[in-house]
Amino acid sequence: MSARVFVGLSGGVDSSLACALLVEQGYDVTAIYMRNWSRDLPGFRCPWANDLADAERVAVTVGCDLLVWDFEKEYKSTVVDYLVDSYRRGWTPNPDVMCNQTVKFGAFAERAFAQGADLIATGHYARTRQLASGATELLRAKDEHKDQTYFLWRVPGETFKRVLFPVGDFANKKEVRAACAARGLGVEGKPDSDGICFVGPVGIRTFLLDSLKQRAGDIVEWETGRVLGRHDGAFLFTVGQRRGLDLGGGPARYVVDVDTKANIVYVTSDPQSPALWTDRLQLADAHWLSRKVPAAGRYLVRSRHTGKLREALVKPDGTSSVEVILPQAMKRVACGQSAVIYDGEVCLGGGIVCGPEPVH
Amino acid sequence: MPVGGPNAPQREVYLDFAAATPVDRRVLAAMQPYWSACFYNPSAPYAPARGARDAYERARSSLARLIGARPDCVVLTAGATEANNLAFATLSEDGHVVVDAIEHESVLACAASHPRKTVLVAPDGRVDPEDIRRAIRPKTELVSVELANGEIGTIQPVRQIACIVAQERARRLAAGQDRPIWLHTDASQAAGALSVEVSSLNCDLMTLSAAKIYGPKQVGLLWAADDVRLRPLIVGGGQESGLRSGTENVAGVVGFAQALELATRMRAEEVPELRRLRNLLQRRLAEEFPWAVFSGPRQDKLRLPGLLHVSFPLLDARRLVISLERRGVYVGTGSACAASRMRSSHVLDAIGVPRQVAQGSLRITIGRPTTEEDIRYAADQISEVVSGEVRRCGLTDRQLTEAGRASYNDAVLGGSRQTGGLL
Repeated sequence: MSARVFVGLSGGVDSSLACALLVEQGYDVTAIYMRNWSRDLPGFRCPWANDLADAERVAVTVGCDLLVWDFEKEYKSTVVDYLVDSYRRGWTPNPDVMCNQTVKFGAFAERAFAQGADLIATGHYARTRQLASGATELLRAKDEHKDQTYFLWRVPGETFKRVLFPVGDFANKKEVRAACAARGLGVEGKPDSDGICFVGPVGIRTFLLDSLKQRAGDIVEWETGRVLGRHDGAFLFTVGQRRGLDLGGGPARYVVDVDTKANIVYVTSDPQSPALWTDRLQLADAHWLSRKVPAAGRYLVRSRHTGKLREALVKPDGTSSVEVILPQAMKRVACGQSAVIYDGEVCLGGGIVCGPEPVH
Repeated sequence: MPVGGPNAPQREVYLDFAAATPVDRRVLAAMQPYWSACFYNPSAPYAPARGARDAYERARSSLARLIGARPDCVVLTAGATEANNLAFATLSEDGHVVVDAIEHESVLACAASHPRKTVLVAPDGRVDPEDIRRAIRPKTELVSVELANGEIGTIQPVRQIACIVAQERARRLAAGQDRPIWLHTDASQAAGALSVEVSSLNCDLMTLSAAKIYGPKQVGLLWAADDVRLRPLIVGGGQESGLRSGTENVAGVVGFAQALELATRMRAEEVPELRRLRNLLQRRLAEEFPWAVFSGPRQDKLRLPGLLHVSFPLLDARRLVISLERRGVYVGTGSACAASRMRSSHVLDAIGVPRQVAQGSLRITIGRPTTEEDIRYAADQISEVVSGEVRRCGLTDRQLTEAGRASYNDAVLGGSRQTGGLL
């Protein structure tokens, strides 16, 4: 009897190919469309109908069952609430990291295994490696430009033992599209979605304006304290942001800090301002895939999806915080973002950026 | 070996004419001069614009003639949904409405923002005029019942309902109550098959769509009897007597007139042919799948001739649609959005089709270009696809019959639902 695999099928390019490959490899495949978010506004067209139709088309083409599983409750209580909360504090969270932890490799995995799945699979660009010790490591994808391990660092590490990433070995996205086309899956022309499993076409701004109380406040020059203009809600701004300030001409200005309590957005016109740069990162809420805190040392660190891998001195303090010391200053990273730590190509885990705060 | 691989189907058969119709070549020819040659704004003051203005008003006059009305009672709109919205804009602030449960979404959505009574329908989708009578209250200002349903094909007794509305109007007159009451009918799905003459329907407002009768999309009309006071939803330059502002869609309306002209002229020969092909398909499917459930009235004269609503219990309609699409056969599932939202359609809910039956529902609609060969090909493909799914799911005839019978029993109790028997 072949192993039973439940594969998350979103109707996108990657998960569609993942599904087809699993069927070809002889697994007993059941595809699951995860319905996470479907705020039905009166008079609005169901936004996810087309994705579901694509998923269905793929399932019919490869000849497997497609079930629709509802994770709206889980998604709301973990991802959405976390997101809104973080923004309220002036942080810039990463909802995909949460979604993977609590929904895709949380609730979905649990339900799949409870219903008799031997393995689960997704269309993520990532790889796993079985060690002689029996442990499983998470490795970056073969295609460095598509690697999605940045979104996977908070997944409970032991889950990866029972996870397949069928597209993790593909050299590039072009090959993936070609492989979809060759199989007549009908999704090869769809745009990349790069892990935006949230709100879809609505956009984060619209969503936040709807969820948080919007109120006007001052835009203040960091160096001088001079009021330069007004904004419509400090939570809409993030460190380093240049657009959307609407200060009516003048030099380009960058957001330096966001004070949601006082509702002030601080900006500077100096791109070299020390407030925009940092040579270390403070991480909180650290998570290690092997459950072992790694020894302090030099590792690779990534602070945004497909961002540069920087060699840095990583000093875990044994509880849940980590200090990362960079050899060179980098643009400051917004609080709430993830910093993911790698030993070579192995993803060790990471933490949530919580500092340092810019100093006057 | 890759699993799928593109495969061109042998033949392409479109069977979703209730969703959209191709523009008839004669309609296209009629519209042709008004895109580039005579493109003028009908309101422009110079002589050539007159050509556009005249064509537009001629088209309005033909449309009016074809529905047996005066041209000045016809408001041209961007489609049936807008016309339905305009009809509901006649309501005063506390005006009550009466609708039936299987109206089109645009009517139900309009009704939702008013005090209302939604009357239930029989298992074959028919509205009982007496239910309408019981639903009317002193504050009722609008009764809206479609002429024919686009999902299961039921033709409604609009004339009888008109009598009831007229009686209520007479009663109010005698009692010295000056609140008006009007009957609106959405005839969008019916115009290809039934007469849409307002004097014989006896309604006060009627919606028509060009898009369902081989005309262009986003063109429709609302006819209103001259004592109905309409209120504009779209204001601006005051076109359409101030009831619908915006530069006139000259080409679209010319096409609409031509389309309705053709529909009216061809109705007598078209309807029997649609019916014959539909019944041929129904017979084929009923023979092959005795457990299939057909919804809508049993009698031919009570249902749209080109429409077949069939449910294959325990199967998944979305899979059937995709498998058929791969074989070049395009059919609908009724209300696409409802199906994809994993909700059964409000129409099937209202006629009491159980979920396990509703989820396997196809709405197949035949149109002007459909041939008997098309139908035979489609029937073969549907048979193969349905049999394939039955095998894939490991369902036995007995399970299928039982699942279908659950709804058959309801139908018997309800009185008039058909099952897979011959016509």
